[in-house]
Order: sequence, then structure tokens, then C-alpha cells
Amino acid sequence: MPDLHAAVIIKLEPDFSEGNVSYNADGTLNRAETKSILGPHSAIACQAAFYSKVKFGARVAVGTMGPPNADVALAHAQAICDADELHLYSDRLFAGADTLATAETLRAGIAKMEGKMDIVFSGHRASDGETGQTGPQTAWKLGYTFLGNVIDYDVDMQRRVVRARRVISLQGLYDIVEEVEAPLPVFIAIDPSYKPSFVTVSQRLALEKYQKEAKARVQDFKKYMKVFNAQQLGVDPKTVGLPGSPTIVYKVEKIPKAKASRKAEVIDGSDREQLRRVAAKIHEVLGGMVIK
Amino acid sequence: MKYEHLYVVIEHEEGKPVPVSLEMLGEARRLMDGYNRKYSADEKVVAVVLGHGVRGICDELVHYGADAVVYADSPELKYPRNLIDTKVIAQIALDRTVAAKFSKSTDFQRPRYMFFAADSIGRQLSSTVMVQLDSGLASDINKLVIEDLEIKHEHKTKGQPVMYERTLEMYRPDFSGFLWTTILCLDNRNPANARDFYPQACSIIPGVFAPLERDASRKGVVIDYAPTFSPEDLKVRIISRKAVKSAVDYDSKKAVVSFGRGIKDSPEQNIRLVAALAKELDAEVGVSLPISKKPYPVSESISSAYMVPDRVIGTSGRKVMPLLYVAAGISGAMQHIAGMKESGFVVAINPDVESPIKDECDVFIRGRMEDVIPALIEELRAIKPQLEARK
Repeated sequence: MPDLHAAVIIKLEPDFSEGNVSYNADGTLNRAETKSILGPHSAIACQAAFYSKVKFGARVAVGTMGPPNADVALAHAQAICDADELHLYSDRLFAGADTLATAETLRAGIAKMEGKMDIVFSGHRASDGETGQTGPQTAWKLGYTFLGNVIDYDVDMQRRVVRARRVISLQGLYDIVEEVEAPLPVFIAIDPSYKPSFVTVSQRLALEKYQKEAKARVQDFKKYMKVFNAQQLGVDPKTVGLPGSPTIVYKVEKIPKAKASRKAEVIDGSDREQLRRVAAKIHEVLGGMVIK
Repeated sequence: MKYEHLYVVIEHEEGKPVPVSLEMLGEARRLMDGYNRKYSADEKVVAVVLGHGVRGICDELVHYGADAVVYADSPELKYPRNLIDTKVIAQIALDRTVAAKFSKSTDFQRPRYMFFAADSIGRQLSSTVMVQLDSGLASDINKLVIEDLEIKHEHKTKGQPVMYERTLEMYRPDFSGFLWTTILCLDNRNPANARDFYPQACSIIPGVFAPLERDASRKGVVIDYAPTFSPEDLKVRIISRKAVKSAVDYDSKKAVVSFGRGIKDSPEQNIRLVAALAKELDAEVGVSLPISKKPYPVSESISSAYMVPDRVIGTSGRKVMPLLYVAAGISGAMQHIAGMKESGFVVAINPDVESPIKDECDVFIRGRMEDVIPALIEELRAIKPQLEARK
């Protein structure tokens, strides 16, 4: 029996990297032409779970709600964190879920993982939806202490306590780095700046071992994967998908072009004479000096 | 009415409301004034404050538009902690005796609407509070309208047209900055699964709405709320709390040079060009939101230095107002403009004269940054000795 059980919830998202992402002429995302991958914030959450595996020998489970092709995200996640168990929650009943209904599915899914979870990780927010709500909402439904914007963490295995540093940004006033302690179980939404560090020799050896294991496992990831529909999860259909969603998308429109707030002088970038004038103007603005 | 009033969850730091709190109150005031006129109602703007030694903030909140302020004062609430704060805010929202202190109505059950800040505290707090209250939440809102809407929805109305009165339309710009999505929180009127969803709640982007002028003659009710805690609610312990300056310093620099997706033809080289221009101008480097998603393969050092959320300028990041703002390869999505429009002098470098940034700059240099930036750096350098000579 492992001493620590960690879970990660992840999301399949559009691949925003150049060459894969496709934009329509009006600047909006062309979803049909854009590939989907494991979301970048989800990948960081997987790294955080992997840290628990390397340092504390945690058993790691990864879950996602999505269409059948979200299995590629699970495989990628397994490659990062050497997951022992992969869950795909897939059912047409889950479609159209807002964050509250998504959290309900994930809550039920996490309860189906092997062992009682001590730490559940999520990313900071999805690259497409960008609400950042699903993590904390899942945490609250699980009854787990929620710690957001976590930049690093450690577990005191004896006391069964997590110590975490989190960063709170105050609207550009300044940031606050807060160190907190909470008894397990906890739910950690990991900050994009998180970087695991493995300092001791034994950690580095464990790291190598698990990385090797992950490489082998992912060749055959479906062996580790279970697919659950709504009935198998035991969720009330009224609490998931469209019926379980208080919110709906009423309309989507192009944001109207704002009235011009400045009147630009258009100059030709290949005309040195004009660029010289811009350079002079820039010096004037910055230094309050006028060159004629 | 069962559902009444607009509750605004206030954040504060060092004894002062943070700016977004006053912005939310301003918008709440405008919305509810319109609402009360339109529906001949008398529903209130209610500020909710948690903290320790916060009585002094309460009158300020009245001066900035609140009809009532409910505050919970306890050493346990000194700093934001999601767990206990969620419990207390939910208690206050559901407390009928509290509502009876500022409203004559007797059948109050829950707030009709609720606002939170879309910042690192409010975003998470709104999420957990709305699970506790079991209702809907929209995030990152920058426009709000209250309307009677006829809705036909596969599930909500079983496909039948139904009139939803007094519905809060919550507008949210998407990640591209070009689309606006309107989110509604609607009761299920489908007989198979009928239920109400209140409050209709959202988190609001800082810096979007204008606060009211402070008016010290404005009157309001201030209510001291004594929350109940269980030891379980206090299990998160704050060990230390330190203010840190962000490594990205927009405030002490006179200039900011930002780049966007226009770097795409040769990302690595173009970012280096932008950095060189910034160095020449002693400027900080900014980015548009899409860049923070690391869309281009560049070296690790460049990626971790520049393609990071900390540098994002706009509604999803920071607001800057330098003397000089240079936007290189930035198309000018609304979200980005909101973060830089108060800059002094704005120079755009862009090959496309049709891009929206043209309406937001003073000089538009038509051309690719690959060509323009090196030439501009040369001209800036060439002019320096002349300036020195005049000193």
C-alpha cells in the first residue's frame, strides 16, 4: 500500500502552438482546424503529481471528462507523471456541462479511483475556457481544502500535513507569497510557474526509475485506462451535463470595434527619413527634449 | 420576493478596499438604480466584508455606493482563506435576519445577484461559494445588462419559449479578445427537472468598470455579523505572508515594448529584436495574452523569460501607463487595449493597416518588425549623440 494517493484532473484543449493552431480571418479560433492536446496547465499539474511520486512514492491516478479522443491527453499525462491509473469520463449526458456540472462529474470520478485520494491536483485554468473555476468547484464538492496558485509544496508524511507556498497577485499593486499548512486531504491548483526540483541522490534515482517506467507504460496506456459513463459513475443525470448546469451560453458575438481613441499617423516602415522623425519623437517623449 | 438584492464581495488590503471592489460597487449601483426604476422595486446593493478591524472600511463602501454593508470581524478572518471565507460568505448570503435589517421585504431567501472580483482571491472564492450555494457562476465579466429575455432552450425550457424576467446578461470576452460570450444563469423550467438557480453570480475583471465619485453624504446601513465557525473550518494555517515585487517592473519604467503574434515568422529572432529595442529605450517588455500560452517553439531561456503570464498586458494581466508604449506585431484585441490605452505616446509596428491597433496608436509604422525594429534602433542610436551635444 502506498503511503500517499495523488490524483490529477486534466483537460483536452486546443493546441495553441504555431503550426497547429488555426485562426479564422476575424482573429477567432478555428476549432475545426485546430488539433487538441493535453492542456499546458494540465501538464504542469501532472508534473506536480509526479513530484509526489518521486519524493513520496505516491500512487498517481489521472482523470478527465471528455470525448473518447481525450484518451490522447491521458496518454500524454501518463508519460509525464507515470500514472498508475487513467480515467476517462465520457458520456453524451456530460455534454454541455458548465463548471458546476463538470465538477460534479469529476467529483464522482475521483471517488472511483483506487484508494482514498490525499492530494488532488488541477491546472491553473484551461487555455480555452479560462474560467479557473472547475478546480476549486471540484475541491469543494469533494470536501477537500482548496489551495490555489500553489508555486511549490511538500508533504510532512508523519503529520499528514501539506505545506505549500502560493502567490496572490493584487492587481499589479504587488504580489503576496503566502506559506500555508493544511492537513490532508487537500486539493491543489498549481500555478503556471511551478517547477519541481529533485535535489537528493535518492530522488534523482527515483526520478530516473519512474521516468523509465512511464515511457514503458505509455506504450500500452489503454491497459491502465478505464472509461466510465454516467451510470457507471453513479451520478444523478440531473446534476451533470446540460441539466446540471445553472448557466448557459446565450449568445456569442463579435466584440464591436471600439471607436478610435487615437488618430494615428501612418508611416512607411521602409522610409528612413520617417523613421528618423519617429526616433526623435520617442526621445522627446522619454526625455522631454525636442529636436528640430 | 424570494430572491432580492445584489451582494458584492469586497476585497481589501491594508485597511483599504482594493480598486476592483469600488469598481464593482459602482457598477452594482448603476445596475440596481436602473433595475429599481424599471421594475418599481427597492432592492439594495449590499457589500460583504470579511476581515479583522474592518469596521472603518464599511463607511467608505457606503460612500462608494453600497446601501448596506455586512461585515464579519474576527482575528480568524484577518487574511483571506478560502475555506472559512466560503462558509462565512454563504452564511451571510442565506441569512434572512441580515436581509431584514436593510429591507422591509419578509420573504427573502437568497440574493438575486452576486459579484466577486476576478482576481487570485475572488476567482477561487466565487467558485467555492457558488458550489456551496449550488448556483451558477460566470467568470471574467466586462459588461453587464439586466433584461427580460425570452428563452428557448433544449433543456432549460424543454424547447418551449419562456420569459425569464430580470435576467443578468453577463458578457465575457473570450481568449482571442475578439468574441464576446453572453452567459446567463437560468432556472430550470423544464418540468422534468425544475429548479431555481440563485444567486446569478459572476466574477468581474479588475479595471473595467468605473467606481462612483466618493460621496460622504451617502447613507447606508452597517451590519455587524457574527459568523459561526467550527474547528474544521480553521484547519488551514497561514505561516507567513510576504509582499514581493514582481520581477517584471512596469511601474518604474518610462517605456514598455510589447509583442504579440506578429513575431510568428521567426519567433526567436523577433523576440530578441524586441528585447534589443527595449534595452535601447530602457523599457520593460510586455506581451499579449496569446503569447503567454507559448504558441511558438523558442529556446527555453527566451520562453521562460518572455512568454509568461506575468508579462501579459491587458484584462487578463496587468494595466500599464508608461510615457511610451510600443506595440510590435500586436493586432489590438480589446483585452489588450484595456491594459495599455492610458499610455502616453503609442507607437505600433504592424504590416496590416487594417488591424485594430491602428485606432489606438499615435504613430503606426507599416512594416514587418523584422525590418522596422533594426532600422528604428539604428535611428535611435544615431540621434543620441546629437542630443548629448545639445546638453
